[in-house]
Amino acid sequence: MTFLREIKEREYLPNRTQIKLYSAGTFAVIKLFLKSPGDIKKLQQKEPLEKRYIRPPREYEIPKFNNDTKYCKSDEKYLRPTLWCNCRAPEVIALANQLGAYRVSDREFAEAAFHFVKEKMPLEILPLNPVEETFRRGTGTCFHLITAFIALCRAAGIKARYKMFAMNMIQAWVDSTVAVDPVVKKWYDSMGYFMLEGEGEAYVDGKWVVAHVGPKAERQAANGIPITKFGEDSIGVWFFPIPGTIMKMESIPYGLGALVKLAKLIAPGSMERVNVSIQNQIESGRKIIQEAGGLEAYDEMARSKVGPKKPKIEMEGKGEIVFGE
Amino acid sequence: MLSYDQYLKNFDKCVSSYIPPYNSWTPADEALYKPKDLYRIPIKDAEELQLKSLKFAFNYHYEKNKFYHDFCKEHKVEPNDIKNISDLSKIPLIPDGFYKDYPHGKDFATWLGNIYTGELPKIVIPHTMPNYDQVIDAFSKAGVIVTYSSGTGGRHTFIPRDIRTFHSSEYALAKCVVSMIYPFWEYDSGGYILMPNPRKNFIYAGKALEIYMDAVKNIQVAIDRHINTETIRITMGIGKGIRSKFIRFASKRVSKKMIKDIVSWLEHNKNSTEKISMIGAPFILYFVMKKIQDLGLTFDIGERGAVVTGGGWKIHEQIRMTSSSFRKIVKEVLGIPEKFCLDAYGMVEGNGWMVQCPEGHYLHVPYSYFKPLVLDDEFNQVAYGETGRFAFLDAIAMSYPGFITTGDKVKLLEHCPVCDRPGPVLDPEVERVKGAETRGCAEEMRSMMTRDIGR
Ligand SMILES: [Zn+2]
Repeated sequence: MTFLREIKEREYLPNRTQIKLYSAGTFAVIKLFLKSPGDIKKLQQKEPLEKRYIRPPREYEIPKFNNDTKYCKSDEKYLRPTLWCNCRAPEVIALANQLGAYRVSDREFAEAAFHFVKEKMPLEILPLNPVEETFRRGTGTCFHLITAFIALCRAAGIKARYKMFAMNMIQAWVDSTVAVDPVVKKWYDSMGYFMLEGEGEAYVDGKWVVAHVGPKAERQAANGIPITKFGEDSIGVWFFPIPGTIMKMESIPYGLGALVKLAKLIAPGSMERVNVSIQNQIESGRKIIQEAGGLEAYDEMARSKVGPKKPKIEMEGKGEIVFGE
Repeated sequence: MLSYDQYLKNFDKCVSSYIPPYNSWTPADEALYKPKDLYRIPIKDAEELQLKSLKFAFNYHYEKNKFYHDFCKEHKVEPNDIKNISDLSKIPLIPDGFYKDYPHGKDFATWLGNIYTGELPKIVIPHTMPNYDQVIDAFSKAGVIVTYSSGTGGRHTFIPRDIRTFHSSEYALAKCVVSMIYPFWEYDSGGYILMPNPRKNFIYAGKALEIYMDAVKNIQVAIDRHINTETIRITMGIGKGIRSKFIRFASKRVSKKMIKDIVSWLEHNKNSTEKISMIGAPFILYFVMKKIQDLGLTFDIGERGAVVTGGGWKIHEQIRMTSSSFRKIVKEVLGIPEKFCLDAYGMVEGNGWMVQCPEGHYLHVPYSYFKPLVLDDEFNQVAYGETGRFAFLDAIAMSYPGFITTGDKVKLLEHCPVCDRPGPVLDPEVERVKGAETRGCAEEMRSMMTRDIGR
């Protein structure tokens, strides 16, 4: 029975919002199947790929695991292992230790983990897998990367969780990640509610601080976007969640993995094309950063184009507004 | 012919319930209600009205709106810094997207309460987990009209207006149109609203047309049902499910009937001597005219008819019309001259209505209470004649700070190249800034209907 309890407590089951999103997505996919089976055939064909995807070499070494290395053994919510996120795996503990776990402040550690995952682990679309595998490979989808960040934090005794939402992207982003393949574009259109994005959150100095680890600096540069810092939210800047779909979870829920698997099964060619495109973006972003005179210079320039910051709203309760009869 | 002064006097009498009593006029009211023709104020006088009204509005929001007060503090600008007309550009602008970044449920109501300037009335929301429409209804019952328009993916821009602000906005729209279309307007005439019924809906471009129902005697409405935020979201292409299928099925039948009704209304008015006008989304009239052509008909309404459009020029997924090609079709199919076919440009977050002049079809700015700005990529103000992002300072908005950067790309000219009205104009082709989302009230409607008609 403990297993069932774990499922419930650690939020492995999709919540209502997700179930709604999943079923809407499934419906859209089935419709696409029925409407244009030709497209599905096209998706299935691997040829002709203009360029094959070659996974870039891992950008870091995994330190040797030492049995005496300190790590968090708590069973508290947000500190314990969850689905795909075994924060007690040797690779995780060794890397957390290398990043300064238990030697630097929580904030410093979370920032180091953020930079490590964001800048050393490029995006690659592929099915979900245990986090230690992600670290061994060095790439993954945003959910792999968020999991990597969360695992590092939890190993270092810092609470961490997922923030997921269905979203709309800005056009520049759509053009480069989604529109490369017309079929992907069609899917994109028909799956408005289907696409989940996410960020990580770490509990530092009494507050949940957001970590948008998905895009490498080069990829952000390729899209003319500033380089996100630890604590900076992508929401409202270039992620526009569909209102009411933001969920905060201890774990990746069941089902998400199957979705990516299904996508791979249906459209391996498209997935590969996206991966090639991501590598191209990193390449072109590298040039853009170089031409701008380095990372900081680029960031400053990009920030001036995002425009002034939005006003902050502190949500004060209003006595004039009364709820319920 | 009626003199312009008498013409406007008649109009003001007709919509007197929208004009606040003279002894309660603020400098903003002065700038809107006093000038007889908002587009023909000599520049010097207009600048004086503009400065006074915007100083007043800025001071008001600075004092009575917490988030905007903090925002100004952050930008180190306060009311004392605004002394002359060139200081107006110091007023901190709220970025595009701010009014789109809202939570849901109870928090949505609280959010509206927090962006609202001044005292909120008592608002009772009978639900414990209210949806957007329930919150909007409750606010409306308390006298705060929350209107919206939406971008892709169903993210709306929500703006709360107290009755006074709302009336000012409606009055501004009507006055701007009536003066541009002089001497066309008269109360004893027929009109068709090519939009959802403003009395039943909160979609902004439609809602602001409520005044049309008071300014013209015999009004017909194209879409008479209530459309909620959910319906709009679905027609924007997300949330596919049985429910949305059903709504589309229903709207398809309604759309066909709607087009048919408008065509027979035109038929009915063919031989009358009464003036007729149609106001609303261009794509609805586009489908009407297509239907007329399919039937092998043409009309010769002539100077007895007028068309005023607004809300964007995307007619179909692939077809984007220009306002000039649209005018040609109107002339050809309905026989209405181009000088009585005008487009208006406005947005849910503003109360300035840019209406085309009949001579050159440039969009004239009502510059006594509304200051247009154009910004470059780095959000610095640029000179007249350059293209950039549209921003504005709006003195009429009392219930929310109307100092806003938009996502529209415009070209602002110091004078109209064609007519002799003294104020600034926008080039008639307004586009979206690249990277921003497509939007427009007509857009919302267009998606719903093209899907339904086109299959
Ligand atoms: Zn003109």
